[in-house]
Amino acid sequence: MIELNAQTIAFAILSVLVLGGGLGVVTTRNLVHGALWLVLSLLGVAGYFVLLSAPFLAAVQVLVYIGAIAILIVFAVMLTRSMTSLGEVRNRQWWLSAITVILLFLLLAVGIILPVWGRGAPGEVTSLSATVGGAVELGEALVAGDGFVLPFEVASILLTAAMIGAIVVARDEEDEGA
Amino acid sequence: MTDIPVLADLNLAWTWPVVGLGLGATLLLVADLFIPRDRKQQTAWLALAILLVSFLLNLAAFPVVDSAFFGMFVVDPFSAFLNLIALTTAFISILLSVDYLQRSGMQRGEFYALILFTTAGVMLMGHANDLVVVFVSLELLSIPLYILAAFRYPDVKSSESGMKYLVLGAFASAFFVFGAALIYGATGSTSLPHIFEVVARGFAAGGAPELLLLVGTGLVLVGLGFKVAVVPFHMWTPDVYEGAPTPVTAFMSVGAKVGGFAALLRILVFALPVLSTGAVEASAWQQVVSLIAAATLILGNVVAIAQQNVKRLLAYSSIAHAGYIMMALAAAGHAGFGEQATRAALVYMLAYMFTNLGAFAVAIAIEKGDGSGSDLEQFVGLGRSRPLLAGIMAFFMLSLTGIPLTAGFIGKWLIFQVTIEAGLVPLAILGVLTSVVSAYYYIGIIVRMFLREGEGDPAAGGTGLVNGAVYLTFAGTLLPGIFPYLMTDLTRVVSTTPVGG
Amino acid sequence: MIPLWMYLLVAALLFCIGIYGVLARRNAVAILMSVELMLNAVNINLVAFWRYLAPQDMSGQAFAAFVFVIAAAEAAVGLAILLFVYRTKRSVIVEDVNLLRW
Repeated sequence: MIELNAQTIAFAILSVLVLGGGLGVVTTRNLVHGALWLVLSLLGVAGYFVLLSAPFLAAVQVLVYIGAIAILIVFAVMLTRSMTSLGEVRNRQWWLSAITVILLFLLLAVGIILPVWGRGAPGEVTSLSATVGGAVELGEALVAGDGFVLPFEVASILLTAAMIGAIVVARDEEDEGA
Repeated sequence: MTDIPVLADLNLAWTWPVVGLGLGATLLLVADLFIPRDRKQQTAWLALAILLVSFLLNLAAFPVVDSAFFGMFVVDPFSAFLNLIALTTAFISILLSVDYLQRSGMQRGEFYALILFTTAGVMLMGHANDLVVVFVSLELLSIPLYILAAFRYPDVKSSESGMKYLVLGAFASAFFVFGAALIYGATGSTSLPHIFEVVARGFAAGGAPELLLLVGTGLVLVGLGFKVAVVPFHMWTPDVYEGAPTPVTAFMSVGAKVGGFAALLRILVFALPVLSTGAVEASAWQQVVSLIAAATLILGNVVAIAQQNVKRLLAYSSIAHAGYIMMALAAAGHAGFGEQATRAALVYMLAYMFTNLGAFAVAIAIEKGDGSGSDLEQFVGLGRSRPLLAGIMAFFMLSLTGIPLTAGFIGKWLIFQVTIEAGLVPLAILGVLTSVVSAYYYIGIIVRMFLREGEGDPAAGGTGLVNGAVYLTFAGTLLPGIFPYLMTDLTRVVSTTPVGG
Repeated sequence: MIPLWMYLLVAALLFCIGIYGVLARRNAVAILMSVELMLNAVNINLVAFWRYLAPQDMSGQAFAAFVFVIAAAEAAVGLAILLFVYRTKRSVIVEDVNLLRW
């Protein structure tokens, strides 16, 4: 049985944040609220990372996801006037989507939960020393002898391409005549 | 302390076709700044030169089997063959683009750099030996394509095409990466050879594959299924293909598919061939892949009949062709047929590449500057106004149908052969039947060009470069049709043994 | 410690909520937000698997870091394309991206 301690309580609260925020994103009418729900959910995920002893990823989650991506989305909402055109939130096939998603969830729940049932029970998981899982280890993993140098380089090319592309697409009309 | 690797540890020697392309694309962005706005063709020449260099480097790498970047990057004939397809696709697409961009007023140097970036993504998909690399290259392949699809400015259809492609592509990537995460959870590693070992060990011990692994594989299949546009993950294809600028559609219809199938083959055939539920004969994913193949063949070919626009028609036709390649994948799921089926799929992709790009080249030759004029009715009378172009188009249509003496025939022949030998006779019969159905709409275009009376519009875009592309693809479709060994010999060295890291 | 399956269950739920959002919402910005939810579900999975199954090898965390990179790139390009759509169409309502259409 799961014992009631600080960790489990934190997990319960964070789960409410993650899932509640997620539901808020997909159901809310006002997209500015949607973006705020998204921030809430992302914050919950950052909390998970702390519980899972990945403090660096938690910091990145807050800085990159909440600090950059969520703000970008708020910009998208404002610049496309999405919060004023409230209209109908869902398309006509939303109920079909809901059924599909519920079926998929049942499949995933069976396929994911059963194989790991009982794994990671208290005491079974090796406890980490304070240093493992931090920025130094992650940085080393990215460039070390058996590390992720290639995807790291590919990601840098990808970011260049994405940046150039975003500029090309978002060019202004006046720019054309120049 | 960790050893920070030096350059020599990376073993870059055989990675230069890809690394050089990425580097070239980045330098091209810089060079483009110094090229005046009215002479952007020069950027295109530079891009072509970069592709050519990469192509030659890749030829040198052909028989090599090696790994680089600490086993994350494989160099083998499989990837070298895919590189040939990817580089040729990019080369022809750029030939098609130069005048097209000029006359539709979207001549911008970034276009060519983005084509090179996405080509590097396609090539990396073939080289990837790790799920993380597959994922990152999948995005390198996709993100520039989202932008290229929205490149026509200001055009509602093109912008919508880009948006749909982006939304669907991001959705598909999320599926892929969720599946990859589950595979990581099931095997404790993201490296494909390591996954192969873990699964093979479990299989040898007689255990059924982990449910987690099966679900992960299924989600990966869904994600890549979107990318290669197989039923039921195809719905975005016609709209995106129709709205995107035609040279981009041409690239997409080959490049994105080749990249997706490269990853499917790498993951399913190279890394997970022994994923079986007890029956030793076939992999657990074989039945699902067969069903997808069957549905794709039927839907793609039947719906194509109703199309009135050549880009939409070619979109459904490309769905149908993805179905034939899925047939090869299904055959590869049968124990002992992995290699033969992979070779058949490679030959098929090469033949499809030349033929499909050729068909798009002709479509571009008759399209107008504002993007209109891709109705099938445009082909009426083409046999009289441009007999040579119409004749070549007719040949492409025959090759897409799979008539003998064309490259398309060789590809289909090999795929049907391996499908029958692997015991999937009903699927092979379905393949033959749907080929017959496809003859209806392919030959419909030939009938329009030669037999229907009408005033053919003078082909607006039949300029030198486009004609060059038409002749190049014609040669690529005709010669292997007559001398099949031109294609099949290249694949003889392909093996599906995972290259250890 | 929290058992592994609880993390995976939350991740699966979040993933499915995201799918529902992509399939059912009409506004493209909302769809992009739903995709971000799906990617976050992936990251929960990756970090949980890393922590419980292979904590000595950082590949799970590194994978999650790459998911961050991709999410950022997709969001940036997505915003640019949405602005372009908005300028040409004055709306980003996705009426025809009916993903379940045959």
